[in-house]
Amino acid sequence: MAKKILVIDDEEAVVKYMKALFEDHGYEVIAATDGADALKVLDGTVPDLITLDLQMDKVWGPQFYRKMSKNPSLKEIPVIVVSGLARPELAIKKAAAVVGKPFDPDELIRIVREQIGE
Amino acid sequence: MSQWTILLVDDEEDIRLVVGMALRDMGYDVLEAENGKEGLRLFRERHPPIVITDIKMPDIDGVDLLRKIKEEDPDTEVVMITGHGDMTVAIQSFQQEATDFITKPINVDDLEISLQRVHERIDARETLREYTRSLEKLVFKKSEELAHLEKRLGDGGEATVQDVLQRFQSLFDDLPCYVAVMDEEMALTAINRKFRQDFGDRVGEVCYAVLKNASSPCSDCPVLMTFSSGTSQEGEAEITTLDGARHEVLVWTSPVRTTGEGTTHVLTLYTDMAQIQKVQDHLSSLGLMVGSVSHSIKGMLTGLDGGMYLLDSGLRRQNDEKIREGLGVVKEMVGRIRNMVLDVLLFSKDRDLKKEQAPVAAFAEDAARGIRALVEEHGIEFLLECPEEAGTFEVDTRLLRTALVNVLENAVDACLEDRDQASHRIAFRVRPEEDQVVFRVEDDGIGMDAETRDKMCTLFFSSKDRKGTGLGLYITDRTVRQHGGSLAVESEPGRGTAFDIRIPRSAAEPVPLEENGGCEGTP
Repeated sequence: MAKKILVIDDEEAVVKYMKALFEDHGYEVIAATDGADALKVLDGTVPDLITLDLQMDKVWGPQFYRKMSKNPSLKEIPVIVVSGLARPELAIKKAAAVVGKPFDPDELIRIVREQIGE
Repeated sequence: MSQWTILLVDDEEDIRLVVGMALRDMGYDVLEAENGKEGLRLFRERHPPIVITDIKMPDIDGVDLLRKIKEEDPDTEVVMITGHGDMTVAIQSFQQEATDFITKPINVDDLEISLQRVHERIDARETLREYTRSLEKLVFKKSEELAHLEKRLGDGGEATVQDVLQRFQSLFDDLPCYVAVMDEEMALTAINRKFRQDFGDRVGEVCYAVLKNASSPCSDCPVLMTFSSGTSQEGEAEITTLDGARHEVLVWTSPVRTTGEGTTHVLTLYTDMAQIQKVQDHLSSLGLMVGSVSHSIKGMLTGLDGGMYLLDSGLRRQNDEKIREGLGVVKEMVGRIRNMVLDVLLFSKDRDLKKEQAPVAAFAEDAARGIRALVEEHGIEFLLECPEEAGTFEVDTRLLRTALVNVLENAVDACLEDRDQASHRIAFRVRPEEDQVVFRVEDDGIGMDAETRDKMCTLFFSSKDRKGTGLGLYITDRTVRQHGGSLAVESEPGRGTAFDIRIPRSAAEPVPLEENGGCEGTP
């Protein structure tokens, strides 16, 4: 069964991109365009990996991460921060990996594989 | 390292002379370098907090210098000097986190405004640091003092926790956050001044009743965890002050031990996250090219990559739908990037107005034309009301038209965002008065709340907007003020918005930027 990735980004074009990229490499993708929506999605599904944008409107990246890690069934899910901010590595200390924007798709796939396999 | 040292890097002697003089006049200690290499050397030697550099230089170019400086000290504020139309360089500078952009020929007023913002950024950053630092220091100090006390009490003192806290009351009262001590029943035994101010004098009541009007403790209550573990805990909570306002707070706890009895009380600090968030927002709203624009561009470049990926994938698999989708994305992204860069260049363009006498009615018609296609496409009713004898006024028609079209486009966006109503209406009314002309743009779209109204004319209003660059209303406000006019807004969420733009008929003194950087919230 395909591994599931939850993509969280408020830019529709980026979501389309990551969905196409991950699906092409055999992953199943669900998306959310805001931290608040993402938390709702997580109520019903448990993904194998999460990619997280930082600057979003209602619930931004770090706040989402804090809320998510309170849930014992969610806190072990690896989170890859994908952000255009200046020092994204400072935002979420326990992130599994940090990727800047724009990213190299091969590099992103490599990091995802490292975290959850194919 | 004083705030008043600036490094000026430019290969043209004339510029170094003129700009150097202007800077010294403003009170700066100016270091000069005639090329990138020399600039870098001086930077490494003297560590100026502010650098102004030309972009086109023979050896190391400005963007390279910017990158090297940011590598060594990312907090350095760097302002780039550029010639007209350097679009690619603009993007590169943003990606490297330049603070601002001045175009040649250099206007001393622009220089002053740029530097004012540089200082605001430096101050805001320092404030944030201080706030966090003093908070940490105080918490640490408190814990240490309590530990000392514990030791002394262990030597046979009969002081109760109450006495101890009383002795430190003034220190607790000074903290810019809520402090409370509770016993094992979660009843408050001591509170600091800020707590009393915002929640009332409710010593003796249980904390969850006072802070949340709840009848039982929070499920992840860090205070309870502290009682059971005897260690400090951290958490988050949402509390409600007496005025009904809700605040998200970070919670830090510290166990208070009485020898022989274990943890009998817990000292708790609640700090309003909004404060920290506000300072961070303020910092980024002053960040000009940094933060939002740079971040948006990176987002758009990523989107563009995405479009290309879909296109490529579609071509390889001969999937028409993917090809079409990819092309659509590419078209949209290229358009948005182009708009943003143009907006930014407009923003840093020569700021002198080219005024001419223009007939008001014709001007208004021309501005209205700017959104005719848009309102038709979306089925929004549009009304232009302008008396024929509106006279003339002396304005920079091109810039002012752009300013008005920005407001009109904003009205369209507000209507489109309002899904509660099926049809919308925008009215553009021109009211000629003796000494001024008032342009009023009304919409019955989504409206804005007080916080949004405040941020409206600052640089990052709607910076996350799909279509906007975040600079539109800032440019409008600036253009209006340059004409000696004013911009005011009335708005109610769910009801709609009205913008009032007043332009004097004849040349008037430009109105300076307000301290908080926004335009008037109410007329």
